[in-house]
Amino acid sequence: MTVSRDDASSAGLALQYRRFVATRVAILIGLAVTLGLSFLADVATGTSSLAAGDILRGLVDSSTLTRSQSVILWDVRLPYALMAILVGAALGLAGAEMQTVLNNALASPFTLGVSAAAMLGASVVIVFNVLPAWLDQNYGIALGAFIFAVGSTMLIQALSRLYGATVDTVVLFGIAMVFVLNALTALIQFVANTDALQQVVFWNMGSLTRATWDKIAIVAVVLALCLPLSMTQVWAMTALRGGEDHARSFGIPVERLRLVVMLRVSLLAAVAVCFVGTIGFIGLVGPHIARLALGEDHRFYLPGSALAGALVLSLSSVASKLIIPGIILPVGIVTSLVGIPLFMGLILSQRRRA
Amino acid sequence: MTGSLKLEDVSVGYGRKPVLNHLDIGPLPPGSLVAVVGSNAVGKSTLLKAIAGLRTSSGRILLGDTDLSRLPLSGRVRLVGYLSQALPQPTSLVAYEAVTSAFRAVRGDLSTAEAERMVDEVFTALDLRNIALRRLSEMSGGQRQMVGLAQVLVRKPPLLLLDEPTSALDLRWQLNVLETVRTITRDDKVICLMAIHDINLALRFCDQLIVLGGGGLLAAGQPDVVMDAGLLRRAYGIEGRVEHCSRGFPIVLTDRAVAAPPMPQ
Repeated sequence: MTVSRDDASSAGLALQYRRFVATRVAILIGLAVTLGLSFLADVATGTSSLAAGDILRGLVDSSTLTRSQSVILWDVRLPYALMAILVGAALGLAGAEMQTVLNNALASPFTLGVSAAAMLGASVVIVFNVLPAWLDQNYGIALGAFIFAVGSTMLIQALSRLYGATVDTVVLFGIAMVFVLNALTALIQFVANTDALQQVVFWNMGSLTRATWDKIAIVAVVLALCLPLSMTQVWAMTALRGGEDHARSFGIPVERLRLVVMLRVSLLAAVAVCFVGTIGFIGLVGPHIARLALGEDHRFYLPGSALAGALVLSLSSVASKLIIPGIILPVGIVTSLVGIPLFMGLILSQRRRA
Repeated sequence: MTGSLKLEDVSVGYGRKPVLNHLDIGPLPPGSLVAVVGSNAVGKSTLLKAIAGLRTSSGRILLGDTDLSRLPLSGRVRLVGYLSQALPQPTSLVAYEAVTSAFRAVRGDLSTAEAERMVDEVFTALDLRNIALRRLSEMSGGQRQMVGLAQVLVRKPPLLLLDEPTSALDLRWQLNVLETVRTITRDDKVICLMAIHDINLALRFCDQLIVLGGGGLLAAGQPDVVMDAGLLRRAYGIEGRVEHCSRGFPIVLTDRAVAAPPMPQ
């Protein structure tokens, strides 16, 4: 993107820049619209036949639906579709912020062990049944997953603060953590009985079928709290992309920024992962798509990552119902099997153009 | 008007290893363009980082009546602009965003219009308008170095600390940078300390020379007064001559290496 010298001298740079970013605003709107369409497609597809027209009518006026149609729409289709969007957005945003504060495009809730820790927490609850009696098992598993997920990022933070570690060390700690957590989960699976083992394995697959309105509300509230906070730090985060030394010399308290952001995104990722299980790839691909399409000015990059994450998971949710008619595949499997080839294609085509 | 820069008994080290000991420098009046020279690893960058507050130091670093070393980083940033030796990372930010974000991350008090005007000015001053909308990942090292300089100059600090600002630049851009910095220091009464390897550029443009060596100050003063064959030998371990060009500027001609320069203790 270059501008000829004549152009440059005739208009103010701010004006030129505004013209330049108009494309990005259009891309953001395009992403949002596509997400809306994907959401409708998600609601309109499923194992039971429910015509798209009926659904639209039912959304506006629920009295037009039969009782069973109403149950399908309100207790199955809508919660799944909404959960896909919220979890996708949460993971996309978390991945984007992690990549910036750790200065590493491979950082994501998955690669830093948040998902693996959630998996271990869920396994502990399922296999050893360490639940207070009053807690519904569904929530108990999520709670266990959440505690472990937040705990693992706290541990990484503590270790790296203790040893004054650089960002690379944090990433290495995270990767080491993934292996340890996976080994512990395998150990628990080894001692589990058949029923519990089956439950653990299924949890690990990552599925939207556990979505309920309560859980949606929780993820929505956390996302609604985190996204505006993220947006208040966009300038500092953008400046951090130039490099840690530069940011510090501009007067940005890099260590504090990193700690605050890591706390926030680990909460965000843990809440998302604990309700749906392991959905690995969204936190990596959301930010990558946003970076390719929108650049790294965080005013566009952060909402773009959230939207791209939401879109990928929503499309995966649609695909999970279409691949084998009559069966809803766990969405975690679909994101990897369908999403990763697409993602690789995107990256390779970008490389070729560059 | 912020007053002169004065360093009193400043010592800096990395961990337990001292790099600079009991340094007294200045006072350097507003408008001074000062070259900090010396052999590799002698502490040029360390000195600039200490003044910028990026490295802990003992002693007093006075800018006018303000002791910079007692200011928190947030307060120091208003007074000091530091350009790191490392180039800005080749990210997908465009130059305009890199400069704007560096500015607005710490100057939330400015209106958008005001910020835009100042960013526009710095792109004009450095002759960078035609790459304002280019991604840093698509730029040469020299272009990124210019963007880094723009990120610092845009804040208009009264004290500039530039660590090798011309290391990646060709002859034309070296001159562009030094002339711009020269103009800024003179017109805006800014003090600029610049670590630089090219001794002849330093002699040509700077009005003060600070020569570091052996963990301390070897010499300080006006370039044509302090620079001579003896200093070249002590600072760099070379045999050389200081002659004058047809326009009267001192020029260093190097003949041969004689010994390793004194290393810091």
